[in-house]
Amino acid sequence: MSDAALAIAGLSKSFGGVMAISDVSLSVPSGSLTAVIGPNGAGKTTLFNLVTNLYPADRGEILFQGRSIRGRSPGAIARLGLVRTFQSARIFPGMTAQENALAGAHMHLQAPAWKHMLWLKSARREERVLAAKADALLELVGLKPFRDMAATDLPMGAQKLLEVVRALMAEPRLLLLDEPAAGLNDAETAELAELLRAVRDSGVTVIVVEHNMSLVMGVADQVIVLDAGSIVAAGSPRQIQQDKRVIAAYVGAEA
Amino acid sequence: MNLAIQIVIGGLLQGAVFAVIALGFSLVFRVTGVLNLSQGAFCVVGALVMYTLQVAWGWPTPVAAVAASLATTAFGIALGMLFFVPAVPRLPTSSMLILTAGLLTLLQGVLLIGWSSQPYALPPFSGEAPVVLGGVRVPTQGFWIAGITIVVILSMWFLVQRTTLGTALRACAENRVAARLMGIDVPRMTLLSFALAVLIAAISGIAVAPITSLEFDTGGFFTNFGFIAVAIGGLNSFLGSVAGGVFLGVAEQLAAGYVSSLFANALALGLLLVVLLWRPNGLFGGGAPRRTDVRDEQRIYHAIVRVEGRGGLVFALGLAAIALALPLVFTGGGILSSLVITGILYISVLGLDVLMGYAGQVSLGQAGFMAIGGYTAAILAVNYGVSPLWGTLAGMALSVISAWALSFVTLRLRGHYLALATLAFGLLIDSLTVGMVDTTGGPSGLAGIPAFSVGSMTFASPVDMYYLVVGIVVVLVLALHGAMRSDFGRALKAVRTDQTAATALGVNVVRHKLAAFLISAALGSLSGSLYAFYFHFLSPEMVATPRSFEMISMLVAGGEGTLVGSLFGVALLTMLPTIFQPFALYKTLAEGLLLVLCFMWLPEGMFGFAAVRLSRWLRPRAAAPAAEKALP
Repeated sequence: MSDAALAIAGLSKSFGGVMAISDVSLSVPSGSLTAVIGPNGAGKTTLFNLVTNLYPADRGEILFQGRSIRGRSPGAIARLGLVRTFQSARIFPGMTAQENALAGAHMHLQAPAWKHMLWLKSARREERVLAAKADALLELVGLKPFRDMAATDLPMGAQKLLEVVRALMAEPRLLLLDEPAAGLNDAETAELAELLRAVRDSGVTVIVVEHNMSLVMGVADQVIVLDAGSIVAAGSPRQIQQDKRVIAAYVGAEA
Repeated sequence: MNLAIQIVIGGLLQGAVFAVIALGFSLVFRVTGVLNLSQGAFCVVGALVMYTLQVAWGWPTPVAAVAASLATTAFGIALGMLFFVPAVPRLPTSSMLILTAGLLTLLQGVLLIGWSSQPYALPPFSGEAPVVLGGVRVPTQGFWIAGITIVVILSMWFLVQRTTLGTALRACAENRVAARLMGIDVPRMTLLSFALAVLIAAISGIAVAPITSLEFDTGGFFTNFGFIAVAIGGLNSFLGSVAGGVFLGVAEQLAAGYVSSLFANALALGLLLVVLLWRPNGLFGGGAPRRTDVRDEQRIYHAIVRVEGRGGLVFALGLAAIALALPLVFTGGGILSSLVITGILYISVLGLDVLMGYAGQVSLGQAGFMAIGGYTAAILAVNYGVSPLWGTLAGMALSVISAWALSFVTLRLRGHYLALATLAFGLLIDSLTVGMVDTTGGPSGLAGIPAFSVGSMTFASPVDMYYLVVGIVVVLVLALHGAMRSDFGRALKAVRTDQTAATALGVNVVRHKLAAFLISAALGSLSGSLYAFYFHFLSPEMVATPRSFEMISMLVAGGEGTLVGSLFGVALLTMLPTIFQPFALYKTLAEGLLLVLCFMWLPEGMFGFAAVRLSRWLRPRAAAPAAEKALP
């Protein structure tokens, strides 16, 4: 299990009698890119919310790099290197795009506030280094021209990409992306796919909840299919595309 | 025994008013999710209109009473249509709280202009002679109050629980969107709840006026106690608000009768803090509490206010040059003195800006820290000969410790409750400064405070003090600017707008909120100390709760979250009454009006508005179209 970035065993959560997640077990190898797919209401986002402890799980175990994280506060989980994005781009209003990206680096900025109050060179240098990194990432995803605009003035697709950039600035070991391609056009989706591959190749484990099949099939090493709170199938994209249960549960009539 | 009964009867009568105001709170809250702090002022409006009609114009009592109630309600409806109803869907609930605090100030300003600042008492409805029942003297007005209160409560109960209109009102309370989809006119229901609350407040104000002395600012007292009553009883509970009011009235009178009125105030506020901590939904509270987060998400950011690069430097240097040159123009007298006061208050408002403008935490108790700082430094200097510098530092330490202790309550609370815990704190400090006569000199104040000095340097003249304050302000603004443009400032803003997303990035929300609160307490305290040393005198009303509201007006009018913006708000409200003397009478009204208007139509404040316009004008439209082409 030690090379699993995330291992979940027997995870369950019910909301008022409705099983949102029921007895889910899965393992995500380090350095892989795993996609979680499934119809609306399958429990994909709930799975993320349980892993990051936005909701407490009813039962089960969650191991992050071999360490149990169930019951830890969302902040503590983030500090371990497990960072997520949200389904509805939750960028911070009242800040520019660059400031949003820099907010992601919160955990890695060491200089305490009093050093900034004294305008110490060392503290400023640290900020400048991270600002350069933020600029490079914004450039990479094509957001450079928006750098100094209010983040809320960005188009929806750009906001979603900005949220991914913000999460990357947190230097996660495991990155959970909740429908990053929702609201993106085809060209933007292609850029996102490129970015996800690059992130994975840099050694970050990625789990992505996604509806966009071409994105999932194009980039994922492993696909997990959820339906009604349970895992229906798991395997390589090719295996999943041929799995009858998946076609029945998810692709359904379209196939 | 008779004394006890006498006190309990007094408490019941007092409690009747609290109960009716609590009912008004509960009514408006249940329909809109807003705590309407202007509630208590309508009691006083009703009573003073009654005074004019009955005593000054000689109208018969019943006619005057009906006319005064209706006139007050009409006025309330006008205010509701102008400000309250349009603001409810636009502003987050904690901003609405501040807006209603602005309405309270506005009403007090209107009363000050119309009736000036003297106490009024109405003649009793039916004769002065009290009824004696088994040795207990009950004023005849007591029966009127009891009867009117019972009628008011029963008719409200009938209206809300037993009529179609009441069902519609309650539907708005359950779910505004669903109510609108069901064809209920939500804005009209909002106005109706507001108007009903005004009506019952006016009626109870008129009923109680003969046994209470009323002034233009007594409304604040009614609001405070009505609120404490409803918080004890439970905002969502009809029975709870009434019971809370009666309980509070009796408890307060018993404490005042057997111990002291200082103790009674402290008891009421202590009770509030305990209830907020222990059962935030009140003792009778039922139902799901509304989601009342910190001022998050809903608030629309119109623009990011920032003067970039060289423009910022030029602006800062220009401002500094003007600040240094001002005493050469105004060599003394009122204007120089007002400039010093502007600087001193700005220090406190800077703290408030860190707390409200950046971290998004509403504080209605900033003046409480001014009081702690002012009185600590002043008492140490006057009674113990401690040097002003050490006294000031001691005050700041005490303020930070108090804020830290208070944070055990506030950090567990969100939205409304947080703001109200700070209000309770401010009021508690108010009653301490008035009540601890031996230490603070009580209402008449503490005189003979020396000038501020550091070692052998004494800042005795206004010019000396001016440069001292300018120096402190420059240092503070530079330090805070350094902190706010860094990770710390970004984390505060993240906490303000989206706590969940901030946490998911590893931001320690509690620690950042606490840091902002401690900074604001320390700066409030510093400001209070300087204030005392500058005037050589300190009295409770110089650093009382209305000052907290005033500072919020200054902050909002100037521009939140910009550090420099609030300077213009402070300057405006401090300098205007000096430059234009007749304005002094209108100052309270202007504060309230400015707060309400800015919240609704100029959310970025005067400075924010000007800065955004200016930077757009300075930076030609090159940036925007380029950005649009960027994404394919």
